[in-house]
Amino acid sequence: MIQLKSMLNCIDNSGAAVVECVNVLKKKRAATVGDRIVVVVQKQRNFASEGAGGSISNKVRRGDIRHAVIVRVRKEMQRPDGSSVKFDDNACVLINKSGDPIGTRMNGVVATELRDKQWSKILSLAPLHV
Amino acid sequence: MANPSPILRQLGCFRSLMKPQSLQHAQISRRSITTAYTPKSQPLDFPSKMPKTFLSQIPTHLQPHSRKKLKVYPPPASATTTCKDAVGAVNQSQLETLDPTGERKALFDYRRNPRSVKVGDIVRVTFKNGDPFAGVCLSIRLRGHDTSFLLRNQLSRVGVEMWVKALSPNVESVEIVQRTAHRKRRARLYYMRQPRHDMGTVENIVTNYLRQKQGLRGIKGRGGRGQRR
Repeated sequence: MIQLKSMLNCIDNSGAAVVECVNVLKKKRAATVGDRIVVVVQKQRNFASEGAGGSISNKVRRGDIRHAVIVRVRKEMQRPDGSSVKFDDNACVLINKSGDPIGTRMNGVVATELRDKQWSKILSLAPLHV
Repeated sequence: MANPSPILRQLGCFRSLMKPQSLQHAQISRRSITTAYTPKSQPLDFPSKMPKTFLSQIPTHLQPHSRKKLKVYPPPASATTTCKDAVGAVNQSQLETLDPTGERKALFDYRRNPRSVKVGDIVRVTFKNGDPFAGVCLSIRLRGHDTSFLLRNQLSRVGVEMWVKALSPNVESVEIVQRTAHRKRRARLYYMRQPRHDMGTVENIVTNYLRQKQGLRGIKGRGGRGQRR
């Protein structure tokens, strides 16, 4: 249940660590996995620039406004077979306007519900699906 | 200015005393009439000798044998008489189709079966579509054919919880990887979500178990579907 002011973890290597939701797109309700939202980068990840010797610079800066796709939510999601899945945190992946991920790598598990919403690029980047 | 009112009041008393006696009597008598018992007037019998020409003058509801008899239909048969416990019947039929051997039902019936899955056990579930999922069983909901259990694990340091329907056709097998060392004193181990009590990942235990199982299979030589219980 992501809405205005929700804080999410960013799990790609775009340089953002924590982002804040400022808008839910194409929906009048709270967003869940697979929904597109507009976020503001609140906290930068600093090890990305240090660890790679400055070759990979942060693609986003604090205060940047970007689009993102939610990949994990705390609110349990009902599956068609009656089972349900929930995660311990809310997480998203930054994307550009055309829908391609900004980062090149992701760390962390993502929900399989992304497949239903045609986010196959994000699913292929993710190391684990649940 | 306060003087005239007491005088007036006295005068008023006098006036009531000076009322003519006949009026007072009349009031009393009227009251007594209202309290008197009068029996309810009984309807008179219909006159037996009545010319037929007068019948038309009497209102229809008072005419003898004029009312048309309404046909009364018996109520439709109640569903509760044909099937006393509809929900139970559906449950039973679903159990028969989903779990004909009763094996899966017994596996989660922790109230009766001592060898069943208990909360705190590490359970691995394989699905017909999708990857297997393993985790600590936090709670078991016994609801007949709707029985489900909650598994919790940590995948890449993120806690993941999954409710799985025990009798779902999508569930291929349910295995107990490791039983809890001591019987848990709670029916629902939701406290294990707190970082202080969190078990962390169970991947190591599950991989060890799978390796052992593989070894056992090698000795036995392909004995069916392993330790499916």
